[in-house]
Amino acid sequence: MNQAESLAQPLSSVPMQAEGVLSLGPAPERPDGAAARPDDAAALLDERDEWLAFSQRAAGAESGHWASSVAFEGMHCAACAGTIEQALRAVPGVLEADVSAAGQRGRVVWDERRTRPSRWMAALQGTGYRALPAHDPQASELRQAETRRMLWRLGVAGLCMMQVMMYAAPSYFTAPGEITPDIMALLRWAQWVLSLPVLLFSCQPFLRGAWRDVRRRQVSMDLPVALGMGITFIVSSLGTFEPDGLFGHEVYFDSLTMFVFFLLGGRWLELRLRDRAAGALEVLMHRLPDSVERRGADGEWTRVVVRRVRVGDVLRVLPGESFPADGALTAGATTVDEALLTGESRPVPRAVGDTVIAGSHNLSEAVQMQVRQVGAQTRYAQVVALMQQAAVSKPPIAQLADRLAKPFLIFVLLAAGAACAWWWPQDPAHALMIAVAILVVTCPCALSLATPAAMLASAGALARRGILTRRLQAIEALAAVDTVVFDKTGTLTRDAFALRQLTLRPGVTREQALALAAALARHSLHPISRALVGAAQAADLRLPAAQGVRETAGQGVEGVVEVAGQVRRVRLGSAAFGGAATASDAGPVSHLVDEEGPIACFEFDEDLRSDAPAAVAALYAAGLKVQLLSGDHVQAAQRIAALAGIDEALGGCSPGDKLRHLQALQGSGARIAMVGDGLNDGPGLAAAQVSFAFGQAVPLAQAQADFVVLGGQLTAIAGAWRQAVHTLTIVKQNLAWALVYNAVGVPLAMLGWMPAWAAGLGMAASSLLVVLNALRLSGGRALEGV
Amino acid sequence: MDVLYLLVPLSVVLVFFVLGALGWAIWRGQFEDVEREGQRIFEND
Repeated sequence: MNQAESLAQPLSSVPMQAEGVLSLGPAPERPDGAAARPDDAAALLDERDEWLAFSQRAAGAESGHWASSVAFEGMHCAACAGTIEQALRAVPGVLEADVSAAGQRGRVVWDERRTRPSRWMAALQGTGYRALPAHDPQASELRQAETRRMLWRLGVAGLCMMQVMMYAAPSYFTAPGEITPDIMALLRWAQWVLSLPVLLFSCQPFLRGAWRDVRRRQVSMDLPVALGMGITFIVSSLGTFEPDGLFGHEVYFDSLTMFVFFLLGGRWLELRLRDRAAGALEVLMHRLPDSVERRGADGEWTRVVVRRVRVGDVLRVLPGESFPADGALTAGATTVDEALLTGESRPVPRAVGDTVIAGSHNLSEAVQMQVRQVGAQTRYAQVVALMQQAAVSKPPIAQLADRLAKPFLIFVLLAAGAACAWWWPQDPAHALMIAVAILVVTCPCALSLATPAAMLASAGALARRGILTRRLQAIEALAAVDTVVFDKTGTLTRDAFALRQLTLRPGVTREQALALAAALARHSLHPISRALVGAAQAADLRLPAAQGVRETAGQGVEGVVEVAGQVRRVRLGSAAFGGAATASDAGPVSHLVDEEGPIACFEFDEDLRSDAPAAVAALYAAGLKVQLLSGDHVQAAQRIAALAGIDEALGGCSPGDKLRHLQALQGSGARIAMVGDGLNDGPGLAAAQVSFAFGQAVPLAQAQADFVVLGGQLTAIAGAWRQAVHTLTIVKQNLAWALVYNAVGVPLAMLGWMPAWAAGLGMAASSLLVVLNALRLSGGRALEGV
Repeated sequence: MDVLYLLVPLSVVLVFFVLGALGWAIWRGQFEDVEREGQRIFEND
């Protein structure tokens, strides 16, 4: 592998990157045939460079484990998601498989040494579904074909339904004997002919799904529906050809075509709505441009595929284009829209030297930028990876619905059989049609769609305002929260500190102390450490090398540094950690000590974030309790708490103290949301029911929190809480609706008061209602506090 | 009423023609990107 290829890798491993197809100029011909034969296409994916296009190294796992993003074809309800997961997990070498029913996407973690993408894709094909690498052009082509086929099925069912209804109408509006038996027979024949395309073509997805169920000895939504269709058609066909037979001369072709049409119509709308619910995700994922202008060695601008962009390249980004990589502006000034990545909804001015981030929009002027980070290292890629992970996680309520779906379906089959047996002696044809109505009216889809659809819509709304949801479960937990606990440094206060005062040991210069402190501080991500490193860099100091550096989270850093030929063990951190006396009460203080005692004491100015009082007031107004926990000394914590309007403040807490305090609160029944910077409060964030990370300077992938607030607006927390409460209300409405619908529909059908067409309409409508109700969340009005 | 023996089968055939036309339209992409086609008249080319 040459240098260029190895550099190209990180970029191509951004999963949502479309294959490098130039959007300008003559489109390069796709090597045809590869896409036409799926097996060859899957085999191609076994090459490392190819699977990198939709896979990433699995986080936290040993090397050789890959997490691939895939889209699934042929999926339509939660029961399918379960089947796919089982089939994938059965493949040796596949470690994890998470499938999202609402997004028709999933994540497969597999071991490079034991399997290849084509193998687990082939295994899945055996079950009747198809896996495609997400965001490869093939996926969109297939999606288009699937949409067209769906519309075509719906059109056939619709037209045939209308015409069948025409032929059926005379039998409803005339008295027996008014039409001659010959004409009646002719009309029944015509109905039969037009029902054939509906059954053989439009019903295919249901029939195929049912066949798959039978073969795999399982139950999904398709089985009862297909049974209903089959029974109706057989009863009506017998009525057509043997009017004097067991089932009489009654035909039900109008019911058949009508409920097929309603079911297909419901599915079609559901498909479109579901795409919209996943819209925020999709928008974010397609944020990177396909191509960009790059300055060549000769100074000429040429348009290249974004995949080919390397760190250090100079790019020209035109107004209206998106920035393809993280970097700094080298010429020009413009305004950019970073809303999706930081939640900042206003355009932000950017001048020479300012950083721009991949995925943000250039709004006004053509600018030049130098690339600093590409591909998976960009903030954009991290955001997208987080969102993909969240989209496939399953909230507990949804898991419950999934578990209920199967026994429920079995119950429905039994109920249909029982009702049929009960009515049979009276009128066999009527008995069968009652069974059909029961089979069709039940709708576990509404039950299993109720939660994920709402959570996904909500996560989308939050994401558009710069709050990333890492686990969908967290939305449920957030709605139940009654206490919000803030960390101080970098959360309530601004990230950036200014060095205000420096107290030195006699004989030590300011520069020496600062260089020594920065040498240790650069091994830590604590805001004060970053401020020290920043101060040292501003003074252009050469930092000595530090060895054996160890960080005690929330306390300080220690290490061995060689200065002027002397090896010294130096500690940098809080007063307790350094063993020094507390000196100030105005802001954070950091002590630098060695074996001989204090070397220096750094005092910083600390500014409250401007929106902190408003955010705290909003939380109090929502009826939540607010507390401040800080590792800083008590006076500093209380000063900030007073400024922000927080009643309870605890200072001088070590991370262990914070954890104990949270546990004590939880012991007394509080449900806690912890707000921290995502790195330095690890144990606290993990212990709380819900955690927010304000990680502007912290690497996103490392932030251990349920929600990551990208923009750093504290008011987002109250908004997120309102949104979560609203989401849970909608979920409860959905579940209640699904339960009531089934509880009313099934008995009605059993009593014979529900014709098959009404059952089809009811089922389609109940699924739709659930999805539509969930979509109310995607506007995110609760977030704005309206 | 004998004309019904001709008209009913004819209407069935007609439905198949209409289905054919609908299929042609769907697979030619007539129903995709409906808004985009409307905007095209504002473009120069």
